Amino acid sequence: MRHDKYPLKAGAPSGGRPLLARVRNSKYPFIVGFLIAPVVLYVVFVISPYIQAFQIALTNWKGISATPQFIGLENFTRLFEDEVFWAAVRHHGVLLLVVPLATIAIALFFSFLLNLSGGQKGAGMTGIWGSKFYRVVFFLPQVLAVAIVGVLFQAIYRPDETGVINSMLAKVGVEPIGWLIDPDLALWSIMGVMIWQAVGFYVVLFSAGMSSIPKDVFEAAALDGAGRFTLFFRITLPLLWDTMQVAWVYLGIAAFDAFALVQVLSVDRGGPDNATTVLPLEIWRTAFNFSKFGYASAMGVALFFMTITFAALTLRVTRRERIEF
Amino acid sequence: MASIVLNSVDKIYAGGVKAVNGLNLEIRDGEFMVLVGPSGCGKSTALRMIAGLEDISGGEILIGEKVVNHLPPKDRDIAMVFQNYALYPHMTVEENLAFGLKLRKMPKAEISKRVGEAARMLGLEQYLKRKPAALSGGQRQRVAMGRAIVREPQAFLMDEPLSNLDAKLRVSMRASLNTMHERLGVTTVYVTHDQVEAMTLGDRVCVLRDGLLQQVDTPQNLFDNPVNLFVAGFMGSPSMNFVNAELVRGDGGAAVAFAGYKLPVPDATFAEKPGLDQFIGRQVILGIRPSDFEDSVAANGHAGGWVRLPVRAEVTEELGSEINVLFLIDAPPVQHQDTVAAADTGDDEDATLPLVGDKSLWTARVNSRSHVRPGQNIELVVDTHNLHFFDPTSGLSIGHAGARV
Repeated sequence: MRHDKYPLKAGAPSGGRPLLARVRNSKYPFIVGFLIAPVVLYVVFVISPYIQAFQIALTNWKGISATPQFIGLENFTRLFEDEVFWAAVRHHGVLLLVVPLATIAIALFFSFLLNLSGGQKGAGMTGIWGSKFYRVVFFLPQVLAVAIVGVLFQAIYRPDETGVINSMLAKVGVEPIGWLIDPDLALWSIMGVMIWQAVGFYVVLFSAGMSSIPKDVFEAAALDGAGRFTLFFRITLPLLWDTMQVAWVYLGIAAFDAFALVQVLSVDRGGPDNATTVLPLEIWRTAFNFSKFGYASAMGVALFFMTITFAALTLRVTRRERIEF
Repeated sequence: MASIVLNSVDKIYAGGVKAVNGLNLEIRDGEFMVLVGPSGCGKSTALRMIAGLEDISGGEILIGEKVVNHLPPKDRDIAMVFQNYALYPHMTVEENLAFGLKLRKMPKAEISKRVGEAARMLGLEQYLKRKPAALSGGQRQRVAMGRAIVREPQAFLMDEPLSNLDAKLRVSMRASLNTMHERLGVTTVYVTHDQVEAMTLGDRVCVLRDGLLQQVDTPQNLFDNPVNLFVAGFMGSPSMNFVNAELVRGDGGAAVAFAGYKLPVPDATFAEKPGLDQFIGRQVILGIRPSDFEDSVAANGHAGGWVRLPVRAEVTEELGSEINVLFLIDAPPVQHQDTVAAADTGDDEDATLPLVGDKSLWTARVNSRSHVRPGQNIELVVDTHNLHFFDPTSGLSIGHAGARV
């Protein structure tokens, strides 16, 4: 009866609820229409493989039998006693510490030189002389394919006197160094290449961040008495915090990968003596060389949890008040 | 505190654009000097050269009798307030205020004393722990001002500091700037494109155009005795009315004739403007301030001896205390380059009618008692003692002591 009481109001365009409901009805199909494609793609190609990996990790599947045998957590107990696995995890730890820190530090330094350090006597906001040229030079490694980088650095790191570095060292009387064959040195050599390759991109990223800082903030700082050093540490760095956070996440993810470079550059793929191996490489080898898909999936699951932990930690630690200009 | 002297200062940008051209200016110790002009006239460039943020292409700048041409900004002992405030977004208000002092290695006690004083003076005490993002425009503006004050510099440089505030706040900030200057007595150079700000704030005002100095004088003198058509058209709102007219001498003495009207020119005017008599029988550009008009009805009794001018009001702008009456006179608009440049300021508040052929639109500011409506015929009276005459070829004010270039 209540509906009959206000028959006109329900249909009137000015009525409160009906109008709202209409807006809702027309809003949701619109949103769903946009979301459906990415969500389906994500579920099919990301979520479901993860679920399958979790399933396979609990079996001893070798990639052939149609009915893999369920073995519970046996893969994981074996994994925790596996020396190679722990070596790989250790390497990730080193990568995670060194690569982002070194890359961000170098990239920040270069982008500051390129963007802000020149012409202090004038507006103070230009780069050093020739900065446009250096920008291209820094970015160049980024556009090279990993395979090419691998070949390039194999020539550079060759352990005898024909290697680029060793031939130069020979000129000053230093014995050839086994960059990639010395187990104590190999990982550091590979990290050097990773940093060399990554710096260019982060120079561009930080340059963009720096150019979004209003010019007059730097001018105000110059009038307040800031020299280059203060300008960098007290003004530029705090205002680039957001960009650095992004860089840290990207580089962290890259540190959990490192597959391609280790694969093309290291001796014996992860050698010598597993000195450079990383988890993605071990997963790939266990699965496709040794056909132990169950065990490889268990490694994958371990890697998944490490990545998740890293992401959560990063988001938690770096969360900070957003800076508005 | 110090005086600031500019000796034929040039600024030439790459590509040969001359932003500032041989600027000579002396800003006295403790003076409030306003640089005003339309956009692109070089006023901001001049200020930035004083600050040391732009290189000086030629000439000399002295602050406190010391040539500062090659001193970096931080060694010039000046503080600047920017148009967009340029606060450090990652610091609290307190840190913003203290930053310059910390960099100068001032003792902590002195810093907190100065910051406290400035905050009290500007009413910022309760905001000291906030970041600039959490402040309103007016508060940010005050922080920017405070950052300059705590430094206790030789001079303040202000680059359109009020232009980002809304109209009402701008008026009140203008007043507090005035009081602040009175209290601190620091030499101040203030850049604005707003001639109202220039008139109200400046001890003296320097009008620039295309990098060239036009006139430096007190606001009242600029208004009463503009040196040329540009200054006349730029200062004052609504701006001065111009017309091409002929100066004649008839039976009843000298008169100026235009568009069918004939206004007598009092003898006092000839005495004030030496050289004006040479223009008798020749063309001049006549300028009349809108405020020198009055509605004959509203001015009843006060307008003895003023000349009557029957017109038809096309548009009326009622401002409460006054009414701007826009009317057409039957003469082509003055197309002198100076008047065009002055009208080109962009923030001209006059309504522009699509001009009907060769008529020009004039404005009269009359008392609100006039109650004139658009379309009505009214009779205006003109105060003929305040007529302005300009040489049509040079654009200079006839008989002005400083008319040169």
